[in-house]
Amino acid sequence: MKNSKKVLVIDDGAHIRRVMELKLRKGGYEVITAMNGEEGLNLIASQQPDVVITDILMPRLDGQSLCKETDHLKEKRPFLTIVITNRISPDDRSWINEMRDTQLMEKPFSPSRVLACIDEYFCDE
Amino acid sequence: MMKDSDRFHGFLSSLSGISELDFQVWDANGLLFLSGPDRAGEVDLEDSQAFSAHIINQGSYQRASGHGRPPMLGAPIKYEQQTIGALIAYEPNSRPESRSENDPPGKTYDAKEMETFLTNLANLMGETWANQKDMEEMAVELSQNFEELSLHARISTHLRSLKFSGTMVSALIEELQETLRVDLSFVRMPKRQEYNAMVSATGLSDRISDQKAFVDNLIGRIPGATPSLEQDYFIVNDSRTVPEFRQLHPEQYRFLAIKVGHDSHFDGWLGLVSFNMKEIFRQGELRLLQSMAKQISVLLANMDLYHELQHFVINMVKSLVYAIEAKDIYTRGHSERVNRYAMLMAERLKLDKTEKEILNWASILHDIGKIGIPESVLNKPGSLDDEEFRIIKGHPEKGYNILEPLEQISECLPGVLHHHERYDGRGHPHGLKGEDIPFLARIIAVADTFDAITSSRAYRSSKSPEEALAIMDQAAGTQLSPDLVEVFKDVFATVLKQEFESTHDEQGCGDKAIETTHRTRRR
Repeated sequence: MKNSKKVLVIDDGAHIRRVMELKLRKGGYEVITAMNGEEGLNLIASQQPDVVITDILMPRLDGQSLCKETDHLKEKRPFLTIVITNRISPDDRSWINEMRDTQLMEKPFSPSRVLACIDEYFCDE
Repeated sequence: MMKDSDRFHGFLSSLSGISELDFQVWDANGLLFLSGPDRAGEVDLEDSQAFSAHIINQGSYQRASGHGRPPMLGAPIKYEQQTIGALIAYEPNSRPESRSENDPPGKTYDAKEMETFLTNLANLMGETWANQKDMEEMAVELSQNFEELSLHARISTHLRSLKFSGTMVSALIEELQETLRVDLSFVRMPKRQEYNAMVSATGLSDRISDQKAFVDNLIGRIPGATPSLEQDYFIVNDSRTVPEFRQLHPEQYRFLAIKVGHDSHFDGWLGLVSFNMKEIFRQGELRLLQSMAKQISVLLANMDLYHELQHFVINMVKSLVYAIEAKDIYTRGHSERVNRYAMLMAERLKLDKTEKEILNWASILHDIGKIGIPESVLNKPGSLDDEEFRIIKGHPEKGYNILEPLEQISECLPGVLHHHERYDGRGHPHGLKGEDIPFLARIIAVADTFDAITSSRAYRSSKSPEEALAIMDQAAGTQLSPDLVEVFKDVFATVLKQEFESTHDEQGCGDKAIETTHRTRRR
């Protein structure tokens, strides 16, 4: 059941993508990656991932815009978004609270906690 | 390793399509890839498995005769000088789609060219596998670093908190156990048992039935002096190699203990145990634990200082109380009794811990201002003149002024200042009314009144508790807060009545007797 879940990792850092890919594969998920928000947006449309993990500060399209542009999709097809951020901004929490099924994690983040968070999301289903 | 050959499969399929060759890729466990799966029936896989085993075994380029067909050719796939697989090429029996009329059946390629080609291709595959394995390992390590970094951040958040407690130690070592993926993590501090904690991975109880005893044994066997202890840690990388530790568990385990302490001060041990011998304790983990152990220790030392200071203030305040009691023979024991009554009421009122703490000090100290009142006035028998009365009435404000410089007890000041306010607003010093009088001050007023009536004063003798309650009932709503009088009556009925009665039976109905008994009970 878990095996069929698809996770999209969007980050401009190759090392972050690689680490998350490894961790999530080992956790039994299918993983696709994108290196900026624009590419991520296209993959969300074409691949319909069950989970999107995204950075905030990225070239082309930032994580915040990505979340805002994809939020309406969750009305028909809910999916989990995990926003991982390095920037210190008290505002982040407030706009994230307005998004459906969206969680914030701060860097330095723990890959195993991200995995646990995803597991928990599907647990509730 | 299997998945890593994936990227060659497309390449080999295409190669098979444009050449006269089919390919197989094997590793020690079996077939990974076969080109032209529709022609699979034409090859004897048992033959090719034996051939792949032969190549892996020999570690060099091999030819196998094809039983009348063109031979099978195979090159070893190597990884760090070890043969881990085989690439096999052969001409299938029938390839009608690619075979032209002119080609003689079973065309053989130049043997030398073939060897070079297959060997190079196999080397390339080996290198790719190796690169991918390296990448994978690096990603694992990076992932581990991420975890440690994140753990560091979380731990320092915990440690920044001033209210360090036993549950926080548990939370810390739980984080350690989870993040470092050890089977057991613990903190053992002989002189601070309240901070002792132990967290184990699920299923460890199957291995160790009494984990506490196991930990005690581990710590007990740490030798008094080894070189590593100068750096504040002790490590057993493999329990089988150290007899004292081998005895503790039939299975192989590793054990790392870090001294919790700073400078020459020793608090205890922070320890990890793991039965996973594929992993080792790493430098990074050691550094993390060392800094954590040091921070815990500094925090404990700070708390000690804080408590010492607190203790000093408490003792000083107690001396103040003794000082007034030394002056005013009639109020001896009064502060302690009022304190006790007030705390019983607090219990009944279900006040929270902080409020209780404040009330505790306020009730003990409520009459501290009497220290500034001449003994002649305090102990005067008979009635006071106006001037003397004015002086007596000034004691709450005097108390306030005496205590004000002590920051630690600043919160109890309102209780001291307002304990002579009256519910109807006719009290002093501010003439506050009803609910405007601080709640804790109203509690003290009730407790104070009861004790004043039931003990003898310079100007009158004592009354029985029942009489006191009747007087207080009348004063409810004028002098005293009515709801709090009810609370006190409840406390009296459930707790105090019995005590007064037993005192009466044993010692007769003397004030001194009541007083002594209560003083004794309080100690």
